[in-house]
Amino acid sequence: MATFFRLGSRQVLNHFLRNEKVGMLSLVRPVTLKAQPACPPKEMGHDERNMKLGRPQSPHLTIYAPQLTSMLSISHRATGMILAGYTIMWGLGAVVLPDSIPCYLEDLAAANVSSILLCGTKFMLAFPMTYHFWNGIRHLMWDMGLFLTLKEVYATGYVMLILALGSAIALVSM
Amino acid sequence: MALASILRNASRVQAGALPRFFFKPASVAVNRNFSSSLCPNYATFNKNSNLNLGLFVPHSKILIAPQARMMSGDHSRLWPIEKALSVSLLVLVPAAIASPHFILDNLLAVAAVAHFHWGLEAVVIDYARPIVVGNVLAKLALFLLYIISATTLGGLIYYNVNEDGIGQTIRQFWAIKGSGKEKTADSSGSEKK
Repeated sequence: MATFFRLGSRQVLNHFLRNEKVGMLSLVRPVTLKAQPACPPKEMGHDERNMKLGRPQSPHLTIYAPQLTSMLSISHRATGMILAGYTIMWGLGAVVLPDSIPCYLEDLAAANVSSILLCGTKFMLAFPMTYHFWNGIRHLMWDMGLFLTLKEVYATGYVMLILALGSAIALVSM
Repeated sequence: MALASILRNASRVQAGALPRFFFKPASVAVNRNFSSSLCPNYATFNKNSNLNLGLFVPHSKILIAPQARMMSGDHSRLWPIEKALSVSLLVLVPAAIASPHFILDNLLAVAAVAHFHWGLEAVVIDYARPIVVGNVLAKLALFLLYIISATTLGGLIYYNVNEDGIGQTIRQFWAIKGSGKEKTADSSGSEKK
């Protein structure tokens, strides 16, 4: 390709006029190339590439209408995180607190707390558990390939909500 | 033309430095003998595809630190174990509370911690992404999670061994009666006379 550009220049014409031995090879400038294996283009993720190009992010969470599917899903994650928090507090508290946990429970029993407060606390403990429990079963059903149509997802979602709320109330009243 | 001859011979040459320019590879089926050790900053190229998506990336002056990708291998081995653990928890939680026992309490402790560890790991990996929080914080968050899980498991087992056990404690807490309930119990008791 470079050869063709060189053919049009004045230097080449002079070269032709002066030289006796004229051939295509004499037009070719000796070039030393450092050939190396091609490096594949850098694989960067979608976010990184678009940040590099300076593009703003499209609105997503701010514009998408809440649906049962997404709300139940994020609630499953949220209740899971809440239950993990309870478990972590128990595990850490057992080691860190000055008194033993049964000791604190006896103090709580003797304190004669209002039953509304007690029921409220029990509900805060029971409902995340029952929600995560029944929705967990729903997830396991999906993993087995069941109830995967949209209608079934909605139906099982409502059933799960009723079961979760119902069993939480039942547990609190025990 | 020269470029094509370089590419054709590329696989035969032991190369040196990284190229300082990005070039569009020719649409020739080139031998994919990429030695990724020679290109340390690049992710491993997909060796199965013969199609080279020639990205014209200009030599960028934006120096973003190479993003760590938090994909450490195959999750497919762990997935069935996670599911089996979830099923076991469906049984263990009611059982440990309904009929407290030392073994059930400890099984519950181990299963619960493993379950929430994997769950929180998914949360951390989803939200504490290197592109959002930086490479250091992403790794740190995961490290902290391991610490928290280990500590919680230790604390729960300590509790099972030295105190009442998880199941018994839940029953004890649930048995606490509030002041309002005592009044109604008294009134119904007096009516029964």
